[in-house]
Amino acid sequence: MRYDRITDAIGNTPLVRIDPAVHGLRHIDLFAKLEMLNPFGSVKDRAAWNMARAGLPGAEADGSQIVELSSGNTAKALAVIAGMHGLTFKSVTNRMRIPETKELLLLLGAEIEELPGQSECLDPTDTEDPLTLFHQALADSETPLLHTDQYFNPRNSAAHFEGTGPEIVADLDGRAPDYFIACVGTAGSSTGVAGALRAHRPDVEVVGLVAAKSDFIPGIRTRDEVHEVGLFDPDTYDTLATVDSGQAIEGMVTLIRRCGLLAGPTGGAAYHGALRHLREADARLAEQRDDGPPAERRTAVFIVCDRVEGYLSYIRQRRPDLLGDTARTPNTLAGLSDADVAAAPAVTVDEARTWIEGADPLIVDLRSTYAYNALHLAGSVNITDEILGELLRAGLPFARSRPVLLACPVGEQSARYAALLTRMGHPDARSLTGGIVAWRDAGAPLTRD
Amino acid sequence: MAEPLYLRPRLDGRAASLLAEPGLLHSLVDALESPLNVVLPEQAAANADAFQEVFTRHRLKGRVLFAHKASASSALLRRLAATAAGVDAASLGELRHALGCGFAPERITATGPKSLRFLWLAARTGAAVAVDSADELDMLARLLRAHGLPRCRTLLRLSGFSAPGVRVRSRLSRFGIPVAALDDVLARAAGYRDVLDLVGVSYHLDTTSLTEKATAFEGCLQALGACRDHGLAPDVVDIGGGFGISYLAHREEWDAYTSELAAAALGARPALTWGGHGYGLRNDKGTLRGSLALYPSWRPAAGGHYLDELLSAPSSSALGGRPLASLALEHLYDVHAEPGRALLDQCGLTLATVQEVRRPPDGGADLWVRLAAKADDIALEEHGVLLDPVLLPRPGSTGTSTDSGSGGPVAVHLFGHLCLETDLITRRLVHLPRAPRPGDLLVFANTAAYCMDFHSSRSQRHPAARKIAAWRSGGSWTWCLDDAYWPLSTEGDPQ
Repeated sequence: MRYDRITDAIGNTPLVRIDPAVHGLRHIDLFAKLEMLNPFGSVKDRAAWNMARAGLPGAEADGSQIVELSSGNTAKALAVIAGMHGLTFKSVTNRMRIPETKELLLLLGAEIEELPGQSECLDPTDTEDPLTLFHQALADSETPLLHTDQYFNPRNSAAHFEGTGPEIVADLDGRAPDYFIACVGTAGSSTGVAGALRAHRPDVEVVGLVAAKSDFIPGIRTRDEVHEVGLFDPDTYDTLATVDSGQAIEGMVTLIRRCGLLAGPTGGAAYHGALRHLREADARLAEQRDDGPPAERRTAVFIVCDRVEGYLSYIRQRRPDLLGDTARTPNTLAGLSDADVAAAPAVTVDEARTWIEGADPLIVDLRSTYAYNALHLAGSVNITDEILGELLRAGLPFARSRPVLLACPVGEQSARYAALLTRMGHPDARSLTGGIVAWRDAGAPLTRD
Repeated sequence: MAEPLYLRPRLDGRAASLLAEPGLLHSLVDALESPLNVVLPEQAAANADAFQEVFTRHRLKGRVLFAHKASASSALLRRLAATAAGVDAASLGELRHALGCGFAPERITATGPKSLRFLWLAARTGAAVAVDSADELDMLARLLRAHGLPRCRTLLRLSGFSAPGVRVRSRLSRFGIPVAALDDVLARAAGYRDVLDLVGVSYHLDTTSLTEKATAFEGCLQALGACRDHGLAPDVVDIGGGFGISYLAHREEWDAYTSELAAAALGARPALTWGGHGYGLRNDKGTLRGSLALYPSWRPAAGGHYLDELLSAPSSSALGGRPLASLALEHLYDVHAEPGRALLDQCGLTLATVQEVRRPPDGGADLWVRLAAKADDIALEEHGVLLDPVLLPRPGSTGTSTDSGSGGPVAVHLFGHLCLETDLITRRLVHLPRAPRPGDLLVFANTAAYCMDFHSSRSQRHPAARKIAAWRSGGSWTWCLDDAYWPLSTEGDPQ
């Protein structure tokens, strides 16, 4: 497939059937619309391109900056589109809670502006919300701006009304599915697709998925927040159901591990929400089949919004088990008992000062480099605890012939590593009792050389 | 009526135990008049210990300083003086009060907008001074030299922190030295070394956002590094306060209430407030606009838990990503915190008598309840804090009120006794488990911080609320006037 521009590759995404052995529905065929295969990685590529494209000639002429309130995929797509057209892009947000997203956006050349958090000493008469401030800033801006306004811009849902929806119908041999399930973020994709499908058959059942009120799933609004979206119209949805982050991650894991679809949490939420809704429908179809003439097979489509790679820290925070402990080698702190640590060789500050004079041990400072650079024991080397841990996995990095003095802030980490070095066969590794805090408190010298 | 939308307050040990003594509370209000404020000094001491415990868990030599401005109570201050906590005084009056309540100057930091007299007394006695601007630094140094005052422990309050790659559109603050101007201020501070002992840097951000505070914390660590380039060696990071209180017992009630408030703003349900007030939300052609101008009354992490999360927050990759507490510890820095509100969590109650209960003239189902108190006596609304009062019926009362017939939950509007339309205890329609009667008490929980005396006035010659201190002694509650409280028993033992 040959294109002149990467933006030409937006859309025409595959519709992939989920193996019935995985979902277990007997009378419904379930399809995933793989929006994660858009060139910038998500369903938002379509909306971003459709919203920006109309304003691009004008923006290029007067060097406008593209501006959007986005904490994720829309910003990603707009940043790339801006860059391709020699424009800058600014993302304004108070919802950017995934560190990888922030870093990726910076890599893509975006400027990020964060809105302030809620005041702790509240002034209830000040009802100016951050969004009002944002809009004032837009109005006062001296540089010309192209505000794509994804929560209110009809070109957002139009991208799906004209693209995503008709593609689904075409891939289902000209028939709209019986069920359509989508997560609600800007409501652009669900509104646009639902509109296109209903134009083909008015009785398509549309399920909108929102997050539980105090939960957080990237890209999905909560039950209350959807009311703040201009494109959101409750009448679009036959059902508005809630998914939580645990269910989203479970669904995501099934898509990844069983279906080979490297979906992010939003795709997982859509899969979970779809299955929960369809299981009931499937059971009803089974009853009909038992009672009377065979019911027709039904079809259902859900949207996989984006890919998993950008959400590792989100997953680590909620389900560290999925990122698994790496295989334990014997040379790790995890293998030490409290008794091992208690028995680790140690020296007090006074003893250490004499010992340093006499035996010239290698002094290893386990603190971070930033702290080490500020102040440290004269002649010490800085090997931060994580790096020492890595080194020790492979074996002893010090000669057995040279004594080692380990130092950390209060003597806890150093005791653990002294115990580990001893277990690994180092004959004279000692921990500085009380750490560098005790050293400082005893008036012993610290240098900054 | 539909399912009542309760916002039931969190009531821990001491406050809950006192509420189980309705006879005592009624007789106190009978004797000392409505409204009446009760503070619980022992709870303040327990809270200070809990904060200290968080520092200990992170192996930090931390110090808790009570932000005096949260309460005018002498009893609370005197009780805290008997703990290891310090105090943050933000006016000449607060400094005098702190000294008089037993805080040695070493445990006092003078902050906020300062008059010459305030600066003089702080410097004269040996309190630390948190300097707000370059000009104030000059003023302090001049004062110290002119009066031959002892070398003054000084902190620099910083502001305008930024995170790598991100511009934070923080609320404009009137306080603090922008970090961008730090170099110039440090050069001046180095020149004042004969009279100023720069011991640390501080920030105090007015935000509930943990990430904003983590950015500031990290900025302070970097600022302390910059101090060394000027030959100064401060080692204290004062991370201010703003750790918050979780006022409500149940998250579900907060979630349900705020959802309904949004629905009411959109016109999807009957109003939940006096005059349809939206608390900042408004309906713009079916889309919800504005933002909820309410304190988040239910908070997942408040007080010590918030401090714990902040200390555990990872630093940016420029500083190696280690938790902020570890970084502070590795640098041998001490961390000070200045909680005001959070230190007084569960430390006070405000009691008010029901004066009148009536049906509204339009015959609506909601009751109008007038209290013997003004809105400024119970200034929850002033801080956007929403919670239900606890109804304590007058013991032995058999009188019937206008609408106590059903005995079930009722919705009420709570009015103050000023002759003023706007004297609403809360704009909210409050749901109570049953209709109150004149003579009953309504108890407002958790008012010690900012709500009981920060705004109180003597408008229309109504008295300001009296304040008493209460504590348990030998299995029963005992009390005295706030100003008569000292943290020792009549025999001189600690109480």
